[in-house]
Amino acid sequence: MDLNLSREHEMLRDMVKEFADSELAPRALELDNKGEFFWEQVKRSGQLGLIGVINSKEYGGTAMGHLARMILIEEISRVYPPMGFFHQTGNLLMYAIETFGSDEQKKKYLPALCKGEKVSAFALTEATGGSDPANMQTEATLEGDDYVVNGRKSWITAVDPADVVGFVARTGDKFSAFIVEKGTPGFEVTRREETIGLRSLPVNEFALTNCRLPKENLIGEEGRGLVCALTTIATIGRTGAAGVALGIAHGCYEIALKFAKERVLYGKPIAVLQAIQFMLVDMNVEIEAAKWLCYSTAWQLDQGKTSRDLAVDIARCKLYAVDVANRCAYKALDIMGAYGLSPEYRVIGLLRDALELGVAAGSQEIMKITIGATITR
Amino acid sequence: MWLEILVCIKQVPHPDHFSEIRLDVGSGHIIREGIPAIINPLDRNALEEGLRVRERFSGRVTVISMGPPQAQKALEEALAMGADRGILLCDMAFAGADTLATANTLFYAIQKLGKFDLIYCGNETVDSGTAQVGPQLAELLDIPQVSGVQEVTFSDEKGLEVRRALEHGYMKVRLKLPALLCVTRDINRPRLPTVQSIMEVVQKKPIIWKAEDIGAPPESIGLKGSPTCAAGVYEHKAGRRREIMQGSTEEKVQRAVARLKELGAI
Repeated sequence: MDLNLSREHEMLRDMVKEFADSELAPRALELDNKGEFFWEQVKRSGQLGLIGVINSKEYGGTAMGHLARMILIEEISRVYPPMGFFHQTGNLLMYAIETFGSDEQKKKYLPALCKGEKVSAFALTEATGGSDPANMQTEATLEGDDYVVNGRKSWITAVDPADVVGFVARTGDKFSAFIVEKGTPGFEVTRREETIGLRSLPVNEFALTNCRLPKENLIGEEGRGLVCALTTIATIGRTGAAGVALGIAHGCYEIALKFAKERVLYGKPIAVLQAIQFMLVDMNVEIEAAKWLCYSTAWQLDQGKTSRDLAVDIARCKLYAVDVANRCAYKALDIMGAYGLSPEYRVIGLLRDALELGVAAGSQEIMKITIGATITR
Repeated sequence: MWLEILVCIKQVPHPDHFSEIRLDVGSGHIIREGIPAIINPLDRNALEEGLRVRERFSGRVTVISMGPPQAQKALEEALAMGADRGILLCDMAFAGADTLATANTLFYAIQKLGKFDLIYCGNETVDSGTAQVGPQLAELLDIPQVSGVQEVTFSDEKGLEVRRALEHGYMKVRLKLPALLCVTRDINRPRLPTVQSIMEVVQKKPIIWKAEDIGAPPESIGLKGSPTCAAGVYEHKAGRRREIMQGSTEEKVQRAVARLKELGAI
């Protein structure tokens, strides 16, 4: 049993760490405060080959795989979680097209998305909630060679900057997945939600009003939309959210550890106080546990196992890593006292980002339902 | 114009971990175990410059390093940045080399590799900082060399104009190829490898040469070829001294000034 990372994965981590520390960290606070989408950083990420890491080389990807994606999301999120989360949501449609889409769709969309010249979003959730997708109201009706779509999707990340959006709609008594491009008549971004964390990434509502989409925009077969969406959300969404959580936990730990070594109280750095050490130890152990839970699951995806095979593993990753991220953020605040509340020290921002992850790609309770239903079977 | 370019690199301890480095006072050696290693930062600038020259004209960038087996990682990183081939000079016979023995080792390896138009080195390393290996190598090769290089301009196919940093200004030097340049951090910003280039590294593993492969005379390399002898090694400790002046404010100031004068601080 070899638990060492391959040399390629080690080099990827070094490269992304340097990218994150030298190019993302200096602007993270400013970008977060502005709440603006980070086009420049997305293009740079594309140049480095980070966006298409799970896509095949034939369509402009780098095909390095799921473990590589986990590592890069973790390293980026350590200093700038919104960018890490972009690699979560931005990869959803790219995976759906690569796995379920036609050759034409792959050729048309994937190269520009891999390069970061264009960005995508993926939509399942409606106002009725994301945990019960079978009750969605958005409907597509075939009229001649076109589908006419009516409905509304809510709480979708990065629709506003997206050039292309994937979504699922009811087609008769089943569901189908579609692609809609920016500028298509009847497609309109109708709202930006006020969010507490991941503020550089807009969370949008969009409406489809008599929106005509040619049959070519169907992803995979008609009636297989929920399979496409749920496979994508499990394989890409939940693992991606786990990676962001891992990065946040790691970031909080690094900041708190540095602070504890430098902050002097009673004539000594507070790091020598056991009360402080115990909190740092809890963070250290939980991060290591979460890391291996996430890495082993991503590695298994690289070995060809599917999200169906790994439903419980993926749910464990997301559930645990997100809980660890939140706990680490609170512990870092406890260690840092008033300094922790200052945005300049970054922990309060990381906590806000961690809170957002609880509901991303399936709530923590949905993860528990997935695991619970299996272990009590 | 085809240019054969050589870049000399060294694997060094990561500066973020310098506080963890310990000295073996007996032998005078640095204890590097457990300290993450990186390519010497200025050597990355040297490599970046070599890659830019190759991209501007055409040619081949060879990266060479002398070091233990783990230095292979530094060469892999250099290959991922875009170097065409990597040579690791790795043999116990090279161990304990000072700057002259290191320059000798590189010299013999270069004799085996063939002629180079341009050789780039980092101006100095972060772990020993002598800035000697580049100039010594140029002397052995009998080619012109410039250290402290901030900027390089090609005046024609075989001519360079080089801006060289001085303590309070700069100097412009014109020279002909072949030449050896020791670069500073001002010269460029080294590129990051890409995911694609990292994955390609698997196909271009560094070549490993031993002392016998380069035909280096044993007396010119390693400890035997090193005239430098460390007279002693100690850990520098900087402590603070505290003295409290008594009396009225005026007296305290006068006493403090007198004491500082006495210590030669003012």
